[in-house]
Amino acid sequence: MAKHWFWWLMTMACVVWYSTITIYVAIRGGADIKHMLARLDATKAREDREAKEL
Amino acid sequence: MTHFNWLLDGSIVGLYLMATMAAGLMVRKYVGKVEHFLVAGREMDVYLGIASLAATEFGIVTCMYTAQNGFEKGFAGATPGILMAIAMAVVGLTGFVLKPLRDSGVMTIPELFEKKFGPRIRWAAGVVIVLGGLLNMGVFLRTGGQFLVLVSGLDVKYLEIMMTALLVGVAVYTILGGMLSVLVTDYMQFIVMSAGLIVVTILILMNVGWESMVSTVELQYGAGGFNPFINPTMGWQYVLFNLMLNTAAVLTWQTIIARVLAAKDTATGRKVYTRTSFFFVCRFLIPGIWGIAALASLGPVVNSLEAMPRYLSTSVPPGLMGLLIAAMLAADMSTDSSYMLTWGSVIYNDIMAPFRKTQWSEKRGLFWNRSIIAFIGIFLLLYGLWYPLKGDLWTYLGVTGTIYLASISVLLIACCYWRRANSWGAGAAILISAVIPITYLVMEQVPATAGLAKSIGPYYSGIATYLLSGAAMIIGSLLKPQSATPLTERTA
Repeated sequence: MAKHWFWWLMTMACVVWYSTITIYVAIRGGADIKHMLARLDATKAREDREAKEL
Repeated sequence: MTHFNWLLDGSIVGLYLMATMAAGLMVRKYVGKVEHFLVAGREMDVYLGIASLAATEFGIVTCMYTAQNGFEKGFAGATPGILMAIAMAVVGLTGFVLKPLRDSGVMTIPELFEKKFGPRIRWAAGVVIVLGGLLNMGVFLRTGGQFLVLVSGLDVKYLEIMMTALLVGVAVYTILGGMLSVLVTDYMQFIVMSAGLIVVTILILMNVGWESMVSTVELQYGAGGFNPFINPTMGWQYVLFNLMLNTAAVLTWQTIIARVLAAKDTATGRKVYTRTSFFFVCRFLIPGIWGIAALASLGPVVNSLEAMPRYLSTSVPPGLMGLLIAAMLAADMSTDSSYMLTWGSVIYNDIMAPFRKTQWSEKRGLFWNRSIIAFIGIFLLLYGLWYPLKGDLWTYLGVTGTIYLASISVLLIACCYWRRANSWGAGAAILISAVIPITYLVMEQVPATAGLAKSIGPYYSGIATYLLSGAAMIIGSLLKPQSATPLTERTA
């Protein structure tokens, strides 16, 4: 472990970082999708309203 | 004998496939415009971007080659991943190229080139991108199928049928929902893929053990298994070539750049790059660990590409096997959907640009985009799956990648930062970056020049392509008389 500390650190960093980011992105990414679809809905409603007014 | 259990593992895989298809199809109702279809209405936020970028850039083909690197080169085989992570972090932190590209509001890279170099260079760049991208992608299906049949123990005669069904499923939601479907399914696929990769890696580290893997690499490759500079198959030229290749990919690979262009603003695009950068170390090191574990367990085998899936087929227990296969299917589906959409967007936006003299309606634009993706799907089936590819796969991927990456990265940097750059330089750079790799490939095949090609090697040839492509841009641009440069080119 001490001899090849760089690769041991890299491997551990991959496992820890990847596990953490997966959980974090799973939570925050779901919220991103919700907000993205809401914004698209709002834009569509506004464009439909503007088209009717024209 | 594989540990795949059709009832338990098959149910996990089936459930994953149904959930993905349902999510992909659900968002199709939000697609009303070409902009929604190609760049998700530019509404993508940071965490969805991270999930999508990571899922897109990790396919089964990636897993196979990075595991092969681990098997053949030891830990040093993960060097390209570290270089790519560094390039991505630097580009994200500085905004180099990303900022002017996203600020310009274009949907594809060649669209930006038109502003600086004119419509002909836009068209030529579009052709180079699509050719390089599609030929590169052409081998994904078969390689993915090889992994799946080896791990699941399925008869190899079902490979074509299985991958055809998978591609049809992916094509259906991509055609209907475009980038919106890609983003939503990428998010799900990122979670499934990551869960599978992490759990299997922990299992391998526990079963094989760190010390056993290190001693195997020491025994097989000595100090070169840990240091790329002293590995006889790598050396400084390998590191330099991979630094150039990965930096160019970070700047110009259209499937990566598509996330920046779909981001809601430039700052979001840069954050996606910075925060995803370390994933590219995992992308090489995690399958690399799988490859080293295969070496420790199976010993040296003739077909190093198949070593990792053969090892996994007998070392992963039932239940986890379902998660592993679902993870790999997720990896492959997210890559296929993004790649089909991205190359399709360049065909529509840039190659077909001269045919759109008048403004097309949104309905007509959507119809053409969807048709192009369907044609790409058919091409992939005929070229990549039903037509058996001959020759060395790595050389093939390297050549197709370099033709695209060398020229487009030089054009993009010059377009953003060199006022004097013009269409002559751009044309020369495209020509040089196509001629050198193709010449090298031909020299390798011709008996009279094969020895010379071998002594040059793919890394020196690759480095020369990037350097000479840059030189061609400078010389070509300086040779063009200023008076011959249109005002739009000079002021862009």
